[in-house]
Amino acid sequence: MDSLISGIKHNWHFAFFSILALLLLFTALSAPWIAPYHPETAEMKNAFLPPSDGHWFGTDKLGRDCFSRVIYGARNSLSSVLILVCLVFSVGTSLGIISGYYGGKIDTVIMRLADIMISFPGIILAIAMAGIMGGSMLNAILALLSATWPKYARLSRSLVLKIKQKEFIEAAHINGGTQFHILIRHVLPNILPLLVITAASDIGGLMLELAGLSFLGFGIQPPAPEWGAMINEGRQQLQTAPWLMIYPGLAIFTTVVIFNLWGDSLRDVLDPHSVHQERISS
Amino acid sequence: MKKWMKTCISALLIGTASLALYGCGSDSQKSGAAPETLRIGVTNFADSLEPTDNYFAWVVMRYGLGECLVKFDQEMNPVPWLASSWSIGKDQLTWTFQINDRAVFSNGNKVTADAVKSSIERVFEKSDRARTFFDYTEMKADGQTLIIKTDKPVPGLPGMLADPLFIIIDTTVTDRDYQSMGPICTGPYMVKSFSKAKAEMEANPNYWDGTVPFKKVEIPSIDDPNTRAMALQSGEVDMAVNISPGDLKLFTDSSRYRISEIASLRTVLARINMSPGHPLQDPKVRAALISSTDRKTYCENLLQNTFITGKAPVPPSLNYGFDQLTDPNNYNPDRARQLLSEAGWIDTDGDGYVDKDGKPLEVNFVYYSSRAELPLFAEATQADAKKAGIKVNLKNVDYNILDSMAKKGDYDLCISNIITANTGDPAVYLNWYWKTNSSGSNPQNGSGFSSTAFDTLSDRLSQEFDPALRRQYMIDMQQIILNEGAGLFFGYPKTNMVSSTSITGAEILPADYYWLTKDIRPAKS
Repeated sequence: MDSLISGIKHNWHFAFFSILALLLLFTALSAPWIAPYHPETAEMKNAFLPPSDGHWFGTDKLGRDCFSRVIYGARNSLSSVLILVCLVFSVGTSLGIISGYYGGKIDTVIMRLADIMISFPGIILAIAMAGIMGGSMLNAILALLSATWPKYARLSRSLVLKIKQKEFIEAAHINGGTQFHILIRHVLPNILPLLVITAASDIGGLMLELAGLSFLGFGIQPPAPEWGAMINEGRQQLQTAPWLMIYPGLAIFTTVVIFNLWGDSLRDVLDPHSVHQERISS
Repeated sequence: MKKWMKTCISALLIGTASLALYGCGSDSQKSGAAPETLRIGVTNFADSLEPTDNYFAWVVMRYGLGECLVKFDQEMNPVPWLASSWSIGKDQLTWTFQINDRAVFSNGNKVTADAVKSSIERVFEKSDRARTFFDYTEMKADGQTLIIKTDKPVPGLPGMLADPLFIIIDTTVTDRDYQSMGPICTGPYMVKSFSKAKAEMEANPNYWDGTVPFKKVEIPSIDDPNTRAMALQSGEVDMAVNISPGDLKLFTDSSRYRISEIASLRTVLARINMSPGHPLQDPKVRAALISSTDRKTYCENLLQNTFITGKAPVPPSLNYGFDQLTDPNNYNPDRARQLLSEAGWIDTDGDGYVDKDGKPLEVNFVYYSSRAELPLFAEATQADAKKAGIKVNLKNVDYNILDSMAKKGDYDLCISNIITANTGDPAVYLNWYWKTNSSGSNPQNGSGFSSTAFDTLSDRLSQEFDPALRRQYMIDMQQIILNEGAGLFFGYPKTNMVSSTSITGAEILPADYYWLTKDIRPAKS
């Protein structure tokens, strides 16, 4: 936490992107106050209106206000991606730590399972799973979770294997530390920064994958607004009402860029060593 | 700083690469256009060309492969095709068809009455749909004369034999994979290769009815309507079927495109499952749901007047009393709410949806999206039903899945775009979807709808030859359906075929299984 505060003070990149990320979260949370209309209120007589003063982003095929849908869509898109990242992070990391620390049969079982999952192309596996389970945001999250956790498991396992040999772990053993205590107090804090950085950098990518699943109809179901699903809806009117695709597309683009750059600058803050090394080597 | 540079350079590179790819794409498409090849962008539901499976015979006919004894003209009158004439005997059971003496199959074999008999027998063996049209007690072939004796009077028999299910095939050919190569038929084109994604056809060298204009026909399946429109704009295809309503205005330049549009014989309707255990079993709930839908706005605003507002099962393009029928469930949101509360459905928990005994009123709406208007009707219904307090859950499935779900009754609402007069009049359509289905006697009716009055009229209709009486029976049958709220009739589409001016003769007909015909020719020849 100290390093984060110091990062905000000394690294303007990190400070800037943190503010933008917070602004996005704030927009999502305060959607009911920002959006001029309810996102699901259909005024069908006003279908396909181009952007105007009354409807900044125009209206969609059912006469719903696109600006309100983009703002409300932030809630669904952001909350689902954050839930997904937290889930992937905790499931993958826990399994990786257990696998690396205990070794033996547990290690073999977890790692072979990870190998199986990783041998499928991630998004294809997610599409197949979401297809079998049916379209809903929860299923899309579970599908991507099943395709993404091995990455975290393998990373945390390799970090644990490296740390396990260190003298301070042996010292903790000799001093009578329980395995749980050692894992929580000594192993976890040492591997956490790198995993947090990985998770932060993954937000953008996972958001694109979630939007992709929604675009294909496997994510959140109509009439709820979600950016990927909105692009799919607008696709039918690509030539006659392009605003239906442009604004949700811009929303995804902006959010992914902000979170990717925020993830990068977080790495600079949490792991200055690697940045230093990168600079020396280049 | 370096990172920023990298980002900018990557963005530039991606931009340039996509521009380059775009350039390549359009160039290769245009240079590949050979005048002897016709390319058609279609939506295709079939993964096989076995005509007795599912509705795959439609594709065999649409792709210019198969022909029937009879075809329909612009006014849906049955006119000669492989049969040159027909007549009915005094007993009203014996039909005599004269098979055209010139007709030959694509392998050169002559189309004799015996070949036709064998082809029709095969349909009855393999398809359970055949008997829903008619049943025969005897079929005799003598030279070019075919005699069909039916078990009871079937006034519309010639029209029934125009249904693609009764495509005439050469049954003597047994060593052929019908699924991928289709049967040997009599149409102007033959299959070179077929998959659900793309079909390639070549001219039938033995075609019996004139010259075949193109050596080769490529038919890519472009199920997405927007992509289909873009394929036509880019010159990737020479004609496209069913351009979506919103995109038609892209083709108004008459020097480049020709739009053939017609008020179709189709109805977009949602079948309503009223079997026990389904929420729409209650007539008041059905009436409330239908009353809550503003179908006029759907057709005029959302679909920009490319649909005629729905009311009855049969579209106004057919003369079956559209104007004299009354819909008791016209759009009236206040009445919808009133009916729901009369049926005991009240919003007690304030979530915007009505509930009864602690359960909210939820309706599952199954749809498919390869026809652009269906998701729109489904979502519009969801929005309007919500205003009345009914929660509509949408489920998007593939057409083939929808068809089996509809038969099994695995839905509350199930939307489809149905042709209402594929035998010349809507008798078969009305029977299929609303005549009582007792233990599989009428497999298309999976809705649980059963009305003695309707069945009585249907039985009378099946034996009636007088056109005026037949019409009246069908009007009365429709009124029963409307009174019972046994269907949600959204609208009647105008159907279209848009072609580039490099070809002529691309005309859409009311019966929309005549797509690729011998009349489609290069413009300059």
